[in-house]
Amino acid sequence: MIRNYIKIAWAVLQRRKFFTFISLFGISFTLMVLMVVTSFYDHAFGPQMPERESDKLLFVNNMREQVKEGYTNSGPPSYYFLNRYVRPLKTPENVSINSLFMPVNSYVNNKKLALDQKHTDAAFWDILDFNFVEGRPFSVQEVANATRVAVINQNTRKNYFGEKEAIGQTIEVDQVKYKVVGVVENVPVLRLHSYADVWVPITLKSQDFKRTGLRGTYFATIKAKKASDVPKIQEEFATMMLQVNKNKSKDIKEAFAYADDIFGTFARTLLGGGKTDKSGLLYAILAFAAFLFMLLPTINLVNINISRIMERSSEIGVRKAFGASSATIIGQFIVENIFLTLLGGLLGFLISAGVLEMINDSGILAYANLGLNLRVFAWGLLLCLVFGLVSGVYPAFKMSRLNAVEALKGGSK
Amino acid sequence: MIRHLFKLIWNQKKSNFLLITEIFFSFLVLFAVLSFILYNYHNYTQPLGFKYDKVWQLWLSPNTDSAAHNIAVQQQMIQRVRSFPEVEHASFSNSNTPFAFSQMNAGMSYKSKKDVFSEVFDVQDDYKNVMGIEVSRGRWFGPQDNGSLHDPIVINKKLQEELFGDEDPIGKLIPIDDSTQYAVIGVVDHYRSYSEFDPEKAAYFHRINLEKDKNSIWNGLVIKVKPGAGVAFEEKMVRELSRISKDWTIEVTTQEKMRQSKAKVTTVPMIAMSLVCGFLIINVALGLFGVLWYNINRRYAEIGLRRAIGASSKQIRNQFVGEVLVIATFGLLLGLLLAAQFPLLNVFQLSSVIYWESIGAAAFLIFLLAIVCAIYPSRQASKIFPAVALHEE
Repeated sequence: MIRNYIKIAWAVLQRRKFFTFISLFGISFTLMVLMVVTSFYDHAFGPQMPERESDKLLFVNNMREQVKEGYTNSGPPSYYFLNRYVRPLKTPENVSINSLFMPVNSYVNNKKLALDQKHTDAAFWDILDFNFVEGRPFSVQEVANATRVAVINQNTRKNYFGEKEAIGQTIEVDQVKYKVVGVVENVPVLRLHSYADVWVPITLKSQDFKRTGLRGTYFATIKAKKASDVPKIQEEFATMMLQVNKNKSKDIKEAFAYADDIFGTFARTLLGGGKTDKSGLLYAILAFAAFLFMLLPTINLVNINISRIMERSSEIGVRKAFGASSATIIGQFIVENIFLTLLGGLLGFLISAGVLEMINDSGILAYANLGLNLRVFAWGLLLCLVFGLVSGVYPAFKMSRLNAVEALKGGSK
Repeated sequence: MIRHLFKLIWNQKKSNFLLITEIFFSFLVLFAVLSFILYNYHNYTQPLGFKYDKVWQLWLSPNTDSAAHNIAVQQQMIQRVRSFPEVEHASFSNSNTPFAFSQMNAGMSYKSKKDVFSEVFDVQDDYKNVMGIEVSRGRWFGPQDNGSLHDPIVINKKLQEELFGDEDPIGKLIPIDDSTQYAVIGVVDHYRSYSEFDPEKAAYFHRINLEKDKNSIWNGLVIKVKPGAGVAFEEKMVRELSRISKDWTIEVTTQEKMRQSKAKVTTVPMIAMSLVCGFLIINVALGLFGVLWYNINRRYAEIGLRRAIGASSKQIRNQFVGEVLVIATFGLLLGLLLAAQFPLLNVFQLSSVIYWESIGAAAFLIFLLAIVCAIYPSRQASKIFPAVALHEE
């Protein structure tokens, strides 16, 4: 039966080429925009290198101090806070403390390289899945000794060393010489907690360790043993914060910090850093925006579909006269419509692959590696089906109510 | 004629409902995007009040806590920078130099005006030369301010209007706290440095006095270089400076680069929005075109009859274009009802001129779109031969 429907759909598509073009254009471009957005989302928040086990990872990147009523200071936490309170937490498998990435300069062959440098501990390399192209991460021993070693990304390797050997060579960054021990694949800049061009041991910044304020320039990355441990860690974190508030200095009324997943940290910062997790709200806002965006093409498609189907009123009349029920007719048109949307979806995939390639090449985002992976593909397919159903149900319903006699006459009022 | 058209559409309102909704949403989308673009464009055309050409930006941050030592290093650094032959002028400032991502604000009060929010720029005397700022009234800072009783400030016109109204600001004292007062010594016409696409905000310059202030570390250093200074000089300068300041972090960039990356913050969303909006509009246009075409085909017999009883092909064409315009007008009126709330209720603090401009532009585009989509199918309709049409019927 369905094969018949699809055959009919194909024949109809070929009959009215202009209408087919309009429908396919609308569907494929709408899906393309949605796919690009989904790909961005996946790029920024999905499980990607190096934060591959994103369901087990939590980040502490903000410390908010309430000074007096209505006045708050907020910024990244200090090493002191992370080392004294976050590192000893019992539920996590591992905790890494690392600095924000800082822009530094490096000069090579009369050329300037603007690099981002990050200070990290050894746990950083265990928790995160970097793809090492050459060499190795720096070890616990090297961190403890504050050895001047560095891990660099492929881009820096290319710009600084060219085709020559990099491992074991020195790289001069911000007037300090480091020995390169490893080269990793480029990390996209949207991965704020892991991204850098050059990673060096955190102990080289030990002058920061003594400052006992709660705010500073550090992040913590927490890894849970299993995904289900995450709420337990957040609970322990909250209990620990009570302790912090007991010991804090008197100028501060209350200090707030949270361990959230990537999307959670983003949602909390974007929506004003309250006490509750704002992920749900942000998802709702995003869904609403997507709905608004899809509304116009959907109305358009419904409009076109009605025109297309109206043309076929005599066909419907014949089928009704031979005893087809409304449900069968609705079924047929929905199948046809989904077929059309899937066809548009396929086109949309091709276009979005091209657009993503263009965005990657344009250099708007450093080391962007947007792509269509299986997850994005699944999202796109789901969007296609929803789109097809939404734009097909109303016209089909309208058609199925046609009176057989009038439909046969070919007119519809 | 027009009344007749309205009546026709009104009678068909059920079947035209979807077209009207489509026009309604297109109008709202156009309105939103055009407001955003016009707002940014409007700001972009305003004068900046400074020149960023050949200005370099250094960020200096000490890594130790010893204040006395850092102050001494800071003194040495500015002296060393000024002694380079490639450097024309140099001035310390806070981190909120032009196009930086940092802002500093303070509330100011004068007589009855309470808590006027103003941007604060801490700068040295040379800042005027580095950034090419022009003072329109009074004077800029100079060595004569070293001994002045009150800290001198130079304000921009926006702050002058907000704080003093029509009064002459020069020489006025503004109380900051119980023991400090600022004296206004000059006015600049414009200074909006956060972004080219941002509106001008009230702002004032406060003088940095390295002799007197022995506590503050200034993170920003702007220098005006002579033509021809390039990466070679940059490397030399950074090397020399890091010799003076052993464990400081020094970062160099140019104001041109900072301007570009700041502009991206506005232009990238603007381009993305325009592309998405453009696609939506093309989509709607094609849809409109298809539906109109179909509708006209359906009314073949009606057209034939009208032709037969003497309507000219021009009249037929005008009728169909007119019908489409009436549908567009219905959609627009609905949209206007919503869009007009923005200027009336002053949503988002945009000036109402921008809202009305974008409403006008959006309406114009919608009508243009409707006409373009209607012309081809209408011409097809006007070419129908009455005999053929009636015969088929």
